[in-house]
This record gives sequence, structure tokens and C-alpha cells, in this order.
Amino acid sequence: MTGPSGVGIGWRPEIAGFVAELPGLRFVEVVAEGVPSSGPLPHGLAQLRERAVTVVPHGVRLSLGGAEPVDPARVAHLASVAQRLDAPLVSEHIAFVRAGGLEAGHLLPLPRSREAVDAVCANVARAQAELPVPIALEPIAALVDWPDDELDEADFLTEILDRTGALLLLDVANVHANARNRGADPLALLDRLPLERVAYAHVAGGAEHGGYYHDTHTDPVPAAVLELVGALCARQRPPALLLERDGHYPPAAELRAELDALAAAAGYPAVT
Amino acid sequence: MIVHAASGDTWGIPGPTFIRYYILTAVVVVAIAVYQRFRPTAGPTAATADPLGPQQVAYLNGGPELAVHAALGGLRGSGAIGVRPDRRLTTVGAAPTGLTPLDQAIHWAAHQHSRVKDLPQDERVRTALDQLRNGLEQRGLLANDTQRARVRFWATIMIALLGIGVLRLVSGLFSGHPVGYLLLTLVPLLIAVLVLRRVPLRTRAGRAALRGIRQEYTHLAPASAPAYATYGATGAAMGVALFGTASLWALDPGFAEQAEIQRQAASSSGWTGGSDGSYSDGGSSGGDGGSSCGGGGGCGGGGGCGG
Repeated sequence: MTGPSGVGIGWRPEIAGFVAELPGLRFVEVVAEGVPSSGPLPHGLAQLRERAVTVVPHGVRLSLGGAEPVDPARVAHLASVAQRLDAPLVSEHIAFVRAGGLEAGHLLPLPRSREAVDAVCANVARAQAELPVPIALEPIAALVDWPDDELDEADFLTEILDRTGALLLLDVANVHANARNRGADPLALLDRLPLERVAYAHVAGGAEHGGYYHDTHTDPVPAAVLELVGALCARQRPPALLLERDGHYPPAAELRAELDALAAAAGYPAVT
Repeated sequence: MIVHAASGDTWGIPGPTFIRYYILTAVVVVAIAVYQRFRPTAGPTAATADPLGPQQVAYLNGGPELAVHAALGGLRGSGAIGVRPDRRLTTVGAAPTGLTPLDQAIHWAAHQHSRVKDLPQDERVRTALDQLRNGLEQRGLLANDTQRARVRFWATIMIALLGIGVLRLVSGLFSGHPVGYLLLTLVPLLIAVLVLRRVPLRTRAGRAALRGIRQEYTHLAPASAPAYATYGATGAAMGVALFGTASLWALDPGFAEQAEIQRQAASSSGWTGGSDGSYSDGGSSGGDGGSSCGGGGGCGGGGGCGG
């Protein structure tokens, strides 16, 4: 098992045939909840593993940011998927998806308070105790800030990473979205993040609606995000960058062009 | 076994003599039938030949009807055809390049505002389908008429032999002769008839080729919700070829419904029972319709309709 390297793409069943035919691909990410812990692996994933392509399970339902402890069954599933895929690491979000027994159905941002840091660190520690491999944490995009934020984004993340020893999964499109929607400078955030702890970076497309930038994952990657990739790589190039596309899949040629543009922006060899 | 007096023998042949020759004949006939049924067919091996295109795969998998649907999937996937509110096909823009003869025939029929259900009767479409079938026969993937006739001939011999045995059994029972050995011979013979009577459409090479292609294209299975925009027109056509019109519905439900295309998953068991019977009189495939449709329950009932 080798760590993620170069340019990768989020493996989705819908585009499994496209991913399978990328000759230079060394790294994909798969939604962990979509991989069974027993029984046969999805055919395309098994094929990639035969080609020694690194597959990183990416959890979306762990709710590390929840006030209650993480569900041991969900952690166990993530651990078993990591084992099955011989993954070098797993990743999850700094977010909560359920509270008080209610499922939100999507990732919700945490208030950046000391209390939230404590809750996240406790849950990350619980997960780390059961996981066979390191975990990388991904901050999520938020359209607005909570009113009682005590810490800024960089301090909040650095605090969590320092206390848990976790790696960072940096979402470049989120950095762009957060800065764009708050009128802040994305480079200022990059300069204050512990970039040496980045395991890999996410890059996704988005679109502007009603004056806000939405991190949709169903639109092409805008030039501004690719520029930010370049700026990030100029500071400290992540070992790997991953294109996330979650729907409204374009023709193969367009998807290949997106991968090529990402490789060019990061200075990695093209995988197409 | 006690040999009875000649005067009491059924048909004047003593039981032990009859059973000896009967078993011998049955073994020889069944052996020949098995050989005819399973012998490898001549023709270029899969490794040396070009890879099969979606329409060839569709014909192999589901016969002429599925080949038409696969072509429709490809043409719709590339946006070359549409359907009008009166449920007749129409063309959109100029014909794309790189069309197969079947594509061209269907594109022309769409230009003439044909209905999907009338396509099989279209002269050009039929010619293109015959061409497809001939190509598959030449590659040794579909059984040709000669092979099918041979299988049918030996099946007939087996049935005749079975008939003689049954007659002897009945007369033996009526005259109180021992029939145990005859009965023991008739049971396996009946099973052999039931198995070998079915005239194969695909050859062994054809079945192997189809298996290989299914393995290669599992990502097109409707369960994966394949992104047809990414896979392109060829992917759409191959999806229909391997997984039936359920893929066409997934690709473009509006088109499939408006064009009155039955939603059906391709069954891996074959295509002997056409859903609407429109091909039963169509050229060579009609010849074996009688025998191979015997099972009845196969396809038409729509058991495979994908949700």
C-alpha cells in the first residue's frame, strides 16, 4: 500500500468504465459507505486494486463533529473497508450529519468554538483507536459562519490537527468558496494552514448562484480554482490531488480535459 | 433374465436381443448428437478477429430485435434521432459519421418517420440484420443453417428411437413381458432428447465471446446507473446490447416511452422467444423457432422488466 500520489479521480459506479481506462492513474478515492464490508468488491474497484492503484476510502456519514460519540459500527465499517482495499489512509469530514437522533442527510458545518474542537478531537481519537491506518480530516465549505465562532478557520483546523495528529485533506474548491463567499483572500488562509500535513487535496467544480459560489461537484472546475491549485502547489505541493465529480457527468473527452488541466496546474504527469 | 419362448416375443424379437441392440443404437445416436451439438465450429478464433461491435454483441445476445434496439441506443446517444409526439421517429441534423449499415438503415427509416415497431419489417433494416447474422455465422459465433439442420436431424433420429422404445414398452406391458431394462434405457434417452433437441443459436465460441464481453462491460449494468454522457454513443449501444432495453430506458426515458420501446432486461438465457413474434417469420431465425421456443416460459412474459 502506497500513499496517494499524483492526480486521481473520485471513483463512482457511474463512471467506473471511464476510470478503468485511465492509463496513468495511480490513485482514486471511493465513498466508504458505498463499499460493502463483506462479499465481493465492486468489479471496477477490484480491477483497480489488481493494477495496484491506491484506493482511499472517504467517509461521509461518521459525523465526527457530532456532540455524541461516533457510532462504533460506522467506525468498524470504515476500518474493514480500509483493510479490504489495503488503503494507506482513510478520510472523513470535520462536520456533523446527525444530532439528537436526527439525520441531516448531508454534511453540516460546526461552530468554530473550543467546545467543538474538544468534541471533534474526542471523536477523532475514538475513530483512530479502531482504524488500522491514519485518518485525514477534511474541513467543509460553509456559506455563512456561526455567530459565536471563537476561532478562525486556520486556528480551528490547526488546533484539531495538532491535538489528534491527523492528516489534512484540503479541499481547494472549499477554500475558494469560503473566501469568495466572505470576500476574503484564499491565499491568506493557505498561508496559515499546516500545508505539510496535507495527505491529498480535493478539487471540484462549482457554480455561482445568487451571488454565492456553490461547491456543487456537478459543474466544471472553474479557472479560479485551478489558479488556487497552482498557488497551493507553489507553497507546498500536496502528494496527490483528486478531482471530485459527483453527477452530471460530462462526455469522456471533457472529463479527461479536466484531469489534464488539474495535472498541468499541479505540475504532475497527466493520467489520461 | 429369463429368455421366453419365441412365440411369445413382442414383434418376434426376444427381449434380451432387442435390448442389446436398442441400447447400442441409442448410445451411438446420442453420441453423434452430442458431437454435433458441441463440436467446435470452424472460423477465426476470437483472438484473431476484430473486437465485436455493440450491434454484433446485441445480435449474439438477444437476436435481431435487440440489435435494432442497440442501434437505436447508439443513434439516440449521439443525438442523431428523436421521436415525434405521434410516436414516429425522426432525424436530428445530419447523419453522424462512422455509422454501421444497420445504423444507416435505421437512420434512413427514422428520416422517413417510421415507428420503432415497424423497423424489423423495413427492407433496408432486414438486409442489414441479415448482414450482421452472416458475419456472426462466418466468425463461428452463431450456428449457421447447416449446423442447425444437422442438430435437428440427429434430434429427429433420437425421437424416432425413443418412439420405438415406447411402443415396445407398451406392448411389453400389455403382454406381461419384463420391461425393467427397457424402462431404464428410455429414461436417459428421454433426458438426452430433451437436452439435445434444442437447436443452439450461439455456438460455444459465441457463448464464450459473450461471457468475456459481459465481464469487460460490467460498468454498463443498469445497477451502476452508468453515465451515458461519459461513455458516449458506443457505450449506450453496448449497454443496450448487454443489458437490454432497460438500458435504453435509463439512457433516455422520454425517448423510450414516446417511441414505445418495451422495457426489458436482456436475459442471459438467450433470445429464442421474441417478445412480439415479429421475427418468427424473418429469415433463418424462423426455422428453429418451433423447436427452441418449446420451453415457452422464456422471455415474452416480461419477467425481466427492470424497475
